[in-house]
Amino acid sequence: MGGLLSYFKGLFGAREMRILILGLDGAGKTTILYRLQVGEVVTTIPTIGFNVEQVQYKNLKFQVWDLGGQTSIRPYWRCYYSNTDAIIYVVDSADKERIGISKDELFHMLREEELQDAILVVLANKQDMAGCMSVAEVHQALGLDALKNRTFQIFKTSATKGEGLDQAMDWLSNALQSRK
Amino acid sequence: MYTLLYGFYKYATQKDEYCILILGLDNAGKTTYLEAAKTKFTKNYKRMNPGKITTTVGLNIGKISVAGISLNFWDLGGQSELQSLWDKYYAESHAIIYIIDSSDRDRIEESKETFDKMIASESLQGVPLLVLANKQDIEDCMGVREVKPIFNKNAHLIGKRDCMVMPVSALTGEGVDEGIHWLVDCVKRNNFVRPPRNNENN
Repeated sequence: MGGLLSYFKGLFGAREMRILILGLDGAGKTTILYRLQVGEVVTTIPTIGFNVEQVQYKNLKFQVWDLGGQTSIRPYWRCYYSNTDAIIYVVDSADKERIGISKDELFHMLREEELQDAILVVLANKQDMAGCMSVAEVHQALGLDALKNRTFQIFKTSATKGEGLDQAMDWLSNALQSRK
Repeated sequence: MYTLLYGFYKYATQKDEYCILILGLDNAGKTTYLEAAKTKFTKNYKRMNPGKITTTVGLNIGKISVAGISLNFWDLGGQSELQSLWDKYYAESHAIIYIIDSSDRDRIEESKETFDKMIASESLQGVPLLVLANKQDIEDCMGVREVKPIFNKNAHLIGKRDCMVMPVSALTGEGVDEGIHWLVDCVKRNNFVRPPRNNENN
């Protein structure tokens, strides 16, 4: 009976997936959100508060929350953690000075009980900038080898050029679908 | 009283946990193999469509229960720039599964060099190795007879640890069972060298 029910649920579209886009200020979170939604680069200003949009990718619906990343408002991220299916963590690959802070924020966030089952996607953004860190360097700088109980994937992206986002969303939607 | 009962319950249901690292060159079929293993050993597991598996840059995990123990898989990316990250996992691994694309004759030498570099690591001494000649479903691929001599050239590096070469097709799932069962016996036998991870510390 339960199987039948979930079959019909699948037919009529499952519930919207809830996704958070997080990262330090200036990493490119808002640009990524609108790239995903309208497929264009929009001019953004630093987000204070949040932007939320419904994004349709293939046949999946996502509710995507982009939270402001400035130091003073990072403590409020946790207010949005409940029922989150996936986290998109955006890193500015050209900002070597603040990657350490980014790492601390990431680990601080992943310790939260409410996010234990969330899937993690790391976007090494701004790959169009000269002298930026490669994927392996980002992996190392974020200390991702310490994450041994969670599936995660890193993607090189350039939000302004629109590169890498499709692969990331492809992987994310597969991972979300096979998780159920 | 509750604590006592609870402690007893935990003790009775606790399983020893072993960590298995899946390595190999990119496109060898590591993630597909992991999916195949999960499908074989997990009831009602919905397998991810193999056509949708892309290059891994990061980590895929999987956990299965077999023969009274639990195996925790770590599947890492195999591209050359990511190989520098492998050794971060060595110290905590109880066994290595090394996967070879048997249909790719051009890269077999590269795969062997990567393998040698890996087994030369200090922190992997005494850790059982399962070498899988994958993609046996492809016609005209190399069989175990052909692969084995190539990987046995540096037998002195392998030393006294358990090492086995087996044919497998991650796509069809053929040979997955045998490999896992061999590995289970090995990690159990090896558990005085590398004791299982304690569940309570997780």
